[in-house]
Amino acid sequence: MIVPFNHVLVLAGLLFLMGIFCVVVRRSLIMILLGVEVMLNAASIILVGASLLWQNLDGQAVVLFVFAIAAAEVSVGLALIVWAYRRAGTVDPENYNILK
Amino acid sequence: MPTAHQNKNDMEWFIGIIFLLVKLGLVLLTLLLLAAYLVWLERKFLARLQIRYGPNRAGKFGLLQPIADTIKMMTKEDSVPEAADRIIFLLAPAVVATSALLMFAVVPFGNALTLWGKNIPLVITDLFVGLLFVFALSSLGVYGVALGGWASNSKYSLLGGIRGAAQMISYELSLGLSLVPIVMLAGSFSLVDIVQAQEKYPFILVQPVAFVIFIISAMAESKRIPFDLPEAENELGAGYHTEYSGMRFGLFFLGEYVHMQVLGALVAVLFLGGWRGPVLPPFLWLLIKIIMVALIMIWTRGTLPRLRYDQLMALGWKVLIPAALLNIMVTGAVLLL
Amino acid sequence: MTIYSIIFYLLSVLILVTTALAITRRNMVHAVVYLIFSFFGSAMLFYLFGAPFLAVLEVIIYAGAIMVLFLFIVMMLKVDTGGERLFPLSQWLPAAVCGVLYLVLGIGIVVSDPNSHDALKTARAEPGAFGQYIFQNHWLSIEIISLLLLVAVIGALLLARRSKRPSAQEIPEGE
Repeated sequence: MIVPFNHVLVLAGLLFLMGIFCVVVRRSLIMILLGVEVMLNAASIILVGASLLWQNLDGQAVVLFVFAIAAAEVSVGLALIVWAYRRAGTVDPENYNILK
Repeated sequence: MPTAHQNKNDMEWFIGIIFLLVKLGLVLLTLLLLAAYLVWLERKFLARLQIRYGPNRAGKFGLLQPIADTIKMMTKEDSVPEAADRIIFLLAPAVVATSALLMFAVVPFGNALTLWGKNIPLVITDLFVGLLFVFALSSLGVYGVALGGWASNSKYSLLGGIRGAAQMISYELSLGLSLVPIVMLAGSFSLVDIVQAQEKYPFILVQPVAFVIFIISAMAESKRIPFDLPEAENELGAGYHTEYSGMRFGLFFLGEYVHMQVLGALVAVLFLGGWRGPVLPPFLWLLIKIIMVALIMIWTRGTLPRLRYDQLMALGWKVLIPAALLNIMVTGAVLLL
Repeated sequence: MTIYSIIFYLLSVLILVTTALAITRRNMVHAVVYLIFSFFGSAMLFYLFGAPFLAVLEVIIYAGAIMVLFLFIVMMLKVDTGGERLFPLSQWLPAAVCGVLYLVLGIGIVVSDPNSHDALKTARAEPGAFGQYIFQNHWLSIEIISLLLLVAVIGALLLARRSKRPSAQEIPEGE
């Protein structure tokens, strides 16, 4: 016996909330991307927990896909950030205010 | 809870812990001692390659040199630059040394022993994701270099750290891909199972391409010449460890030489049949294979010049990774037939 | 209270505290370092939940590759975050509304789900069995994911190539 499943739900929920907080409140593209990673991680925790609850490997399979998506998202996202930084000289999203 | 077996189980558990501690102590001692004497071996062998004598003052053939060096490093002042990020600066060398030392936990150094009716596997822990465990630790080793370089708050260190991070994550890919055929042949991630699978013939005979890719990527991973761009003495001072002194510098050094041994052990386990060999005891065979690989690495260091940065990246991304992918495909096709 | 539940609570505290520290740091290198610890905790949680393969992958991919990329970019860009305001006042209201909504919904889900009081039993998925399961039941998803990774590699290369100074930086994309 580990713990009731709702404790896992609470943990993942709080983690997800922190991710949203980071995305909404921080004013730096890099930190926003970090927040997205935290949210993805919270989702993987709940998927692995559910996979254990129902003794079904589908949850773990989806986590594998989440990993791949996170990696793809970060590589493209960071390349975009570098590109934007070279053009505007900043990573604060509020400074991207020129339409060209 | 069954109480009849409780006492016996507790006893078994206790004996298991004792054996584990003994194994841990022995392996740690061997690793540290061998690391010290690898430094001596490297200096001596390199000196001979360059027609000099190498260390020969402390003891016969300079055999006491490693001990003298250790005492020197321990007693030196441990200085921290004023503008450095203190905590990260102090912790970074430990990350390098620890991640290298921990990798040895899954390397088997003999067949299971039977002592007093108890079965003792001669490996610290037989994880069934052992190979991936090694990769995980080697990817954590990047942080020691990158953060050490960043926290020193010096331009050379930062350059060295960035170079180190880029180089190590690039070569980790080819390192991992080169070993996929081995896992396919053995059908397991566990290093114990991989050694068992080489009972008839060592894998180097069927996987020479993987062997070459692995050796090259492993050298790049341990940042040795010809891949020592992160520390490149003549352009970056000493790269990521420019600002370190005393035992913290010693930890970087220790990490490098333990890493060399781990790579030697991995080459032995994955390609040369691990502890298998005639006549001599298994443990000694593993040691011989490790030292052989280390000698090859030192020889390479004495022979080849440093690569340029673009050459390094081109070699990793345009040669090694495609070759490793091709090797996986060919191995898969052969296994299916 | 079994030893597993104690481990679970310790790991939860580790994950939550390090993540909370990470998202509030002004210095982004510190944020990345704290987040590495958080991912490490998640990996151990996966191991506890019987997914050793995913646990190691979490360390390799999240802690070992994604966070290195972040660190790399933070070190390379030399972003000055000293002047960043963590709490722009104009965002307090929407953030609070969203947070309260989320909490209410979350509590509702946790309380109302009939399954959620079942205790988790320990189990373990061997990597071999997991691999066979994935390639038998999800082969199409695997193909789609690999295509996605290919697209990511090409996209990252394209973005890096468009720069004015082509040889200045070589970012190893497509991890």
